[in-house]
Amino acid sequence: MDMFEFLSPLFVLLTIGGTLVGIIFGAIPGMTATMAVAVCLPVTYSLGLENGLALLLGLYVGGISGGLVPAILLGIPGTPSSITTTLDGYPMAKQGHGEKALRIGIIASLVGGLISLVILDLFAPALADFAIRFSYVEKFLIILFALSVMAALSSDLLLGIFSGFLGIFISLIGTYDVTKGGNGEWRLIPPGTEYWLESGFSLLPVLIGLFGLAAILDEAQTGALPGMSQKDIKIGQSERFSLRIFKGQTVNLIRSSCIGTFVGILPGVGGSAASILSYSNAKTFSKNPENFGKGEPAGIMASEAGNNGLTGGALVPLLSLGIPGDSATALLIGAFTLQGVQVGPLFIANNPVTWDAMIIAMLIANLAMFVLMYFAIRYFAMVVTVPKHILFPVILMMCVIGAYTINYGIMFDVWTLLIFGIFGWMMSKLRLEVAPFIIGFILGPSAEVYFVKTLESFGDVSIFFTKSPIAVVLWLLIVGSIGGSIWLHRSASKHRDA
Amino acid sequence: MGDLTRVTINFDTSHLLFPTLIGCVLGLLALAIVIRDRKSVLNAHRHWAQVMRATDKPRFFGTLALTILYFSLMVPVGDIWPNTGMGFLLCSIPFVALTGLLFMHDRSLKHALPMLIVSVVAPLIVWWLFTDLFYLTLP
Repeated sequence: MDMFEFLSPLFVLLTIGGTLVGIIFGAIPGMTATMAVAVCLPVTYSLGLENGLALLLGLYVGGISGGLVPAILLGIPGTPSSITTTLDGYPMAKQGHGEKALRIGIIASLVGGLISLVILDLFAPALADFAIRFSYVEKFLIILFALSVMAALSSDLLLGIFSGFLGIFISLIGTYDVTKGGNGEWRLIPPGTEYWLESGFSLLPVLIGLFGLAAILDEAQTGALPGMSQKDIKIGQSERFSLRIFKGQTVNLIRSSCIGTFVGILPGVGGSAASILSYSNAKTFSKNPENFGKGEPAGIMASEAGNNGLTGGALVPLLSLGIPGDSATALLIGAFTLQGVQVGPLFIANNPVTWDAMIIAMLIANLAMFVLMYFAIRYFAMVVTVPKHILFPVILMMCVIGAYTINYGIMFDVWTLLIFGIFGWMMSKLRLEVAPFIIGFILGPSAEVYFVKTLESFGDVSIFFTKSPIAVVLWLLIVGSIGGSIWLHRSASKHRDA
Repeated sequence: MGDLTRVTINFDTSHLLFPTLIGCVLGLLALAIVIRDRKSVLNAHRHWAQVMRATDKPRFFGTLALTILYFSLMVPVGDIWPNTGMGFLLCSIPFVALTGLLFMHDRSLKHALPMLIVSVVAPLIVWWLFTDLFYLTLP
């Protein structure tokens, strides 16, 4: 019974509450699961690790799932991961089958979430066991691989790589940490800012700024247009829903869930890639590809199973390698840091209770998402009409709380929020990529330790290529991901020119 | 090859090794971007002028100004009643109300009233939650 000592009524309540709030965030266009996690992170300070994670995982699952509501009812993806749900969901809604489309999406989301959870439970411990054998060389190459994959999947390879390295560079501001083998000297600190930047920029204010304030500034820049009114919602009349619509779709659901999970495992690749890949595969293998885009239920199933498949997949690299799978799981690192727990290959072995708690929380969150959305879908449909002029100022206030309380009351962290909020807004205007930047920022200090300590120990750069067969494989993967990306970009531009 | 790849790390200056390396890589990448996108770089002023034209200036700069004012006032106001979180509470109420009004398009009393109620209730709940329930320090 000790195994489930964390399973208290509070734990269940926090998971369900988190899922509910997450759905609301996901259902409002312009607000994402990442923003939900960022805004609610300070609430976890006093909850303890397991209860805090229960809340955050509920927010994560709910946030990803909630995006289907506006995608289907308004034709606007609530979150980037619901982008392909609009293609068939909105046409179905226009035909008067909005509620039916929502229910298809909700069931597909549940299937995607559960399949990815099983893969997470089976795969993460095995990968962690394997990664325990990694030396600093392999750990450094894993980080390089993560950055190369993210850059490769960016819309612009060069800007993607630049963003990742910029993230590393900014993470190095401050002291070369003695506790990690550094010499305790300062670097990259502008004169006059030593007092504030001695320990560099804190992770959470940076994340909250990039995902919270930047989104609000973007909204302000475009004029904070009024939200939709109730008459814009095309939910249609109540109609009897039958599971027969899923007949012949088992392969589509399983394939899409697995694609979503696999995409989640790749570091930094977002839910939009998961749903697009799942959708295009479903269309390719469909007997009626011509129906896709005109209100085909299989399209909604593929998209939603794919993006919810991401939720478990994104936790695999986080919990086995310490590398976040997407931006929301990057924020989970903040929750672990708050509680003094380090994620990496030893995490599951050293924290079996927390690991079990995460699996159970994900399970409860998926089931809660299904029950809440399936039976109260008409109420959630109303959420899309909540005015932004009420929400955004409150969210900004919550961002301040999160930044201020992270280090128990340092005002510089609040200014960090503003600096990175403006920086995040500018990044989008300069076509720089936020995801590689974040991963670079999170992993930069570790990359430095692995790199410098390897050279101190071996005194030879060639060790990065010759240390082990794993190192060679990782180099092949790095070169392959960059080469593949160049090839893909070239063939795409050839297609455009043709 | 052996001698070429050999390096000796001086522990006293080891804090500069990785930042220098990353700085060089960034410089090379920036150079590659500038060469590839030279037309865009030369026309950067036009791009930003276009961004500014498309910007809702009162809302964008108003949000920035209110945020800076909010952050600047929180500590001085909080210092009047130390360790009570009053700086946060007393600054958050007008900030939420003013930002809400700024974001609004139809500022009639019917639409403004719910927003004004939220601007009082939300900071009060958050202040109570964090100071009385979680015992966390607020400015």
